[in-house]
Amino acid sequence: MTNQTNVKLRLNNSELWGGLIGLALGGFVIWQGLKLKLGTINDPGSGYVLFYTGILMCVFAGSIIISAITEGGPTLASRWENVRWSKPLLVIACLAVFSFALEPLGFLLSSIPLLLLLLRLIDPVRWTLAIPIAVLVPSGMWWVLKRLLLIQLPSGLFGIG
Amino acid sequence: MDTLLNVAHGFGVALLPINLLYCFIGVFIGTLVGVLPGIGPISAMSLLLPVTLSGTPESGIIMMAGIYYGSMYGGSTTSILVNIPGEAASVVTCIDGHQMAKQGRAGPALGISAFGSFIAGTFALVALMLVAPKLASIAIAFGPAEYFSLMVLGLVVLTFLTQGSMPKALLMACIGVVLGLIGLDSITAQPRLTFGRMELIDGIGLVPVVMGLFGVAEVLLNTEQAIRRDIINAKITQLLPNKEDWQASAGPVARGTLLGFLLGILPGGGAVVASFASYALEKRLSKTPERFGHGAIEGVAGPESANNAAAGGAFIPLMTLGIPPNVVMALLLGAFVIHGLQPGPLLITQNPGLFWGIVASMYIGNVMLLILNLPMIGMWVQLLKLPYNILFPLIILFTILGVYCSSNNVFDVYVMIAFGIIGYFMRKLGYEPAPLVLAFVLGPMLENNLRKSLILSQGDLWTFVQRPISAACLTLALVLLIAPLLPSLRKKRELVALDEGA
Repeated sequence: MTNQTNVKLRLNNSELWGGLIGLALGGFVIWQGLKLKLGTINDPGSGYVLFYTGILMCVFAGSIIISAITEGGPTLASRWENVRWSKPLLVIACLAVFSFALEPLGFLLSSIPLLLLLLRLIDPVRWTLAIPIAVLVPSGMWWVLKRLLLIQLPSGLFGIG
Repeated sequence: MDTLLNVAHGFGVALLPINLLYCFIGVFIGTLVGVLPGIGPISAMSLLLPVTLSGTPESGIIMMAGIYYGSMYGGSTTSILVNIPGEAASVVTCIDGHQMAKQGRAGPALGISAFGSFIAGTFALVALMLVAPKLASIAIAFGPAEYFSLMVLGLVVLTFLTQGSMPKALLMACIGVVLGLIGLDSITAQPRLTFGRMELIDGIGLVPVVMGLFGVAEVLLNTEQAIRRDIINAKITQLLPNKEDWQASAGPVARGTLLGFLLGILPGGGAVVASFASYALEKRLSKTPERFGHGAIEGVAGPESANNAAAGGAFIPLMTLGIPPNVVMALLLGAFVIHGLQPGPLLITQNPGLFWGIVASMYIGNVMLLILNLPMIGMWVQLLKLPYNILFPLIILFTILGVYCSSNNVFDVYVMIAFGIIGYFMRKLGYEPAPLVLAFVLGPMLENNLRKSLILSQGDLWTFVQRPISAACLTLALVLLIAPLLPSLRKKRELVALDEGA
């Protein structure tokens, strides 16, 4: 990876952030393990494995942090250098909106706009092709699942689908 | 004699029209995902895991297995013709295969790759047939301590072989264990990490996790760059390698087959490591190593045989011990569990139809693949021209539907989307998802066996070192954990490190 940080303790070091997130997760797992009770070594409780896994997580995360401090690491920005970073971001945004819309709108009303957006956003497919695909594929899948396989897809507040 | 009777019984199961159909669908989809860069066997198997619910266990597992070994065949086509590996195990094939294609020898490269794969695949099956029942009879004597240590070894080997830093891979494995423990404790029935949500009482499903981490995350990563393809447009003729090609390839095929099979059995190993190891071996043994990288047929024959033999060998630990040696086998374990089956030492005796049916279906699948990959090569070449801007949105829609259909639960769709986004950022920060998924599957078994051994030994930790198999596994795991601290071994590890997610 290029663009290694020259100053050891730069805050935009992606390795450091990765390690810190790992450390926080490890701490959380230890706390949950303790809450669930460790039991004894003769009769380990529900939190026994969680507790020790949390400790291991902290050890590995600590090792990542130490190496980030002593050896430096790529900056967060360099991870997205020379790539079309906006594309995955747009897909993530579409998926986030879709996840909120799925239950209230139902499968058909949420998946047709999702597919249309994805077809136009990733590497734009021309409208004359994108619209038929966006309408026909989800409708076809819905028909196969609902009519042939008798699988009930979410129909939403409007009962469509 | 018993083996022959069992094989005959297996063919009786595998030749049922419905199983033949599932076998064909499996190897066809396997070749398809092998051919298409960006979608590997893991994504395809996770996509189709819910489909296995609709048929019998035999049909579902025959199809899933077909996808795995089918992708090994298909991967070479893209490597040779486009210089983009269709899946991770075909990375090495690009080096000499594409050079051969550029020199107008795409036909022999594709031919030797298909024949080598066929020979290796068939050998792996015969070996699987002979080794698996014997290993299963030994495995009956395994106690919880042995199982625990074997799983620890499997996880450590996978983290050792994963690309990037080992602490990161180990951290991923730990997160996988924690995710696997969400839900009711199997011993005390106490809910763990459920945060009061009823959906989490049964834990997180394997399907949404894998589809998110491998399906959605893969699409997100692929959208970052416009995929450029340098397809060899010349008509592919003379697929049959000539006498000289066969003479040059006989040794590499034989060595690749043996090496691949042995590496396939090892926990954490698999097709990717096998293909790299075979290439390195052939280059070292060659009298003219300078030809490698410039279109040496040995550089195609060896790795292609090795990855197929490894794909067959990987079934042994799953079928006999119930321990998946890699992520693909973890998915297959998921398919077994979905059908209420537990692979392990008793599978062969309690479910002979299933075991021998799967083995026999692999013979049939290998023949199908030879036909699919040689006379029908033109069709796969056409498929390489499929536009990705249409394919990727469809993959996302299919993953959403696949996850929903596997549980009829919208919550799983949310879980998949969340893991897709997490998986994308993980990959960007250099955290590989393979150890997480394997640990997620092994986590509950690992915990169960650890707690059982501690209860049985009354808290005596020596039980893990007093039992020879357990001690050997833990010693090897310890060596692998310490190895990256030594500079020379760290270098070696970086050479063989693999990207399972590809």
